[in-house]
Amino acid sequence: MLNRVLNHLEEWLITFLMGAATFVIFLAVVHRFASGIPVVQDWVVKINVSWAQELCIYMFVWMAKFGAAYGVRAGTHVGVDVLVRALPKSKANILIMFGLLAGAVFTGIVGTLGARFVWENGFHYALMHDWLGRDVGDVPEGPTSPDLEISTWIAYSCVPLGSYLMCFRFLQVAWGFAKTGEVPHADHGHVEGVDEIDETDLIAQGGDRT
Amino acid sequence: MNTAIIFILLLALMLTGMPISISLGLTVLTFLFTMTDVPIESVALKLFTGIEKFEVMAIPFFILAGNFLTHGGVARRMINFCTSMIGHWYGGMGLAGVLACALFAAISGSSVATVVAVGSIMLPAMVKQGYPKKFGAGVITTSGALGILFPPSINLVIYSIATTGMSVTGPKGEPVGSASVGALFLAGIVPGLCLSFLLGATTWYRAKKFDYPRMQKATWLERWRAFRDCMWGLLLIVVVIGGIYSGVFTPTEAAAVAAVYAFVISVFVYKDLKLSDVPKSLRSAAAMSSMLLYIITNAVLFSFLMTSEQIPQAMASWMTSQGFGLVVFLLLVNIILLAAGNFMDPAAIVLIMAPILFPVAAKLGVDPIHFGILMAVNMEVGLCHPPVGLNLYVASGITKMGITELTVAVGPWLLTMIGFLVVVTFWPSLSLWLPHLLFK
Repeated sequence: MLNRVLNHLEEWLITFLMGAATFVIFLAVVHRFASGIPVVQDWVVKINVSWAQELCIYMFVWMAKFGAAYGVRAGTHVGVDVLVRALPKSKANILIMFGLLAGAVFTGIVGTLGARFVWENGFHYALMHDWLGRDVGDVPEGPTSPDLEISTWIAYSCVPLGSYLMCFRFLQVAWGFAKTGEVPHADHGHVEGVDEIDETDLIAQGGDRT
Repeated sequence: MNTAIIFILLLALMLTGMPISISLGLTVLTFLFTMTDVPIESVALKLFTGIEKFEVMAIPFFILAGNFLTHGGVARRMINFCTSMIGHWYGGMGLAGVLACALFAAISGSSVATVVAVGSIMLPAMVKQGYPKKFGAGVITTSGALGILFPPSINLVIYSIATTGMSVTGPKGEPVGSASVGALFLAGIVPGLCLSFLLGATTWYRAKKFDYPRMQKATWLERWRAFRDCMWGLLLIVVVIGGIYSGVFTPTEAAAVAAVYAFVISVFVYKDLKLSDVPKSLRSAAAMSSMLLYIITNAVLFSFLMTSEQIPQAMASWMTSQGFGLVVFLLLVNIILLAAGNFMDPAAIVLIMAPILFPVAAKLGVDPIHFGILMAVNMEVGLCHPPVGLNLYVASGITKMGITELTVAVGPWLLTMIGFLVVVTFWPSLSLWLPHLLFK
């Protein structure tokens, strides 16, 4: 149940970020054009869109982290599978399992590094000083971003959040693999709106098969 | 010694079949933990800043634009246009296949999707006309790779990003900048057209030799109608190139505008996509871009390790101390890239190899733009050559032909491509004259 909520949240988030970032940059471009049109000029130049690039970057970095976690579940990450395909199944399974667990270890470490970074770059201060009203001594207040002027730890928190989620996904896939022997695999060559070729079609029409 | 450890570790991790991004990151972490005293905290920051550049954001936008137009309907319109124009020549459907692949690959940005989309529509039609199946398979498998040279090419964007921000010096010690996305896009056009022409020539020659059927000549009215249908998709290339070159957009803005344009075309003009399908397109573009961005993040870590261990510099001085000149280096590059192309995704190869090879190339006096195009052509060949080129693999799926059988079928076109690769490698002007003409 919780897992289903998480799945939806993840999908919804990356879909939203992709669409919203496109919209933001498109608007910024339109805005720049409108600034050159005499009639609307005076009105348009009052709106400041200098933050658009920074917002777009943050949106895409967030999308990248959560999309990478989604990618583990959906099987979009590309790997080198020559050896795995060549080995007998029992040996290949060991390699696949090793790969999945290594993924969990890596993302776990990265998540922890990221969490520490976020903590030291403003989250500690924000939590203790701003929210709990405690005296924090010489704990520094973290930096803020140049255009949006938000605390950078908020933007950077996608590293721990996304990485821990990805770690969880790796473990989930590894668990599923141990039970069913299947790993998710995305079809990168899928195209909407084409019919599958029917083999009998090719032969019946007089094509040679050699 | 360290170099050897790094590469063996990377290779070993990759061969387990784990995601390329993870194997890059794990290599870096293992090396930093065990062999150096580089503070591990610097890694955490790199994981965010690695992709925190506006230039990088062109990638998700171009992927989204391509995703909206990767549809059978778009492929069908292009095929109709191409067959109406050149279908009456020798091997007309084959020639139209080359052209349709080039156009579709350019706007969809995916070689694999091109092989599937154009192949699934064109191959049955060709067989129906009386062409042998292997002829069609050879044409589509190789032409499907053409998109890497035509703007907007995601691989060229990646090359530009992968080589930006490195301190690289030329033969006389002067600093060498990386190639801009705009210049690379322009540089790809002439070689792209040449390669399309050569693949077409191969098709024509074989069709004439074996006397394959020709189609009835289309009337100019039919041609105009077919053109009007596919024009909207093709305008995407014009928007991108025109916008960047005239200075109206930066490449990233051009990509965002292209994405919105593609959305409008596919939903409101072509009506291939229902409005309710749009979230699905957004999601699959997001998943695809995240995968690439995740490789980029880790590749940035990896090239950070390369730089801190001074590996490209060591390679460059080794090359010059051995008395190897430009010719040997470029040959070596081709061999390495073709070998890598066997088992890796083009984007991943560019991300890993460009930061290593580019400093050496610059030291030997290779132009950054020319080197990018050289890598792109290598990626195209790598997609089609046996045993496991990605296009071959996909084409084998849709044609139900075995890889060996398909390799034989692809042969003539593959040889043409390899011949062209040699030309691109040793004739820089082919890639450079258009960007030099327009940028200087």
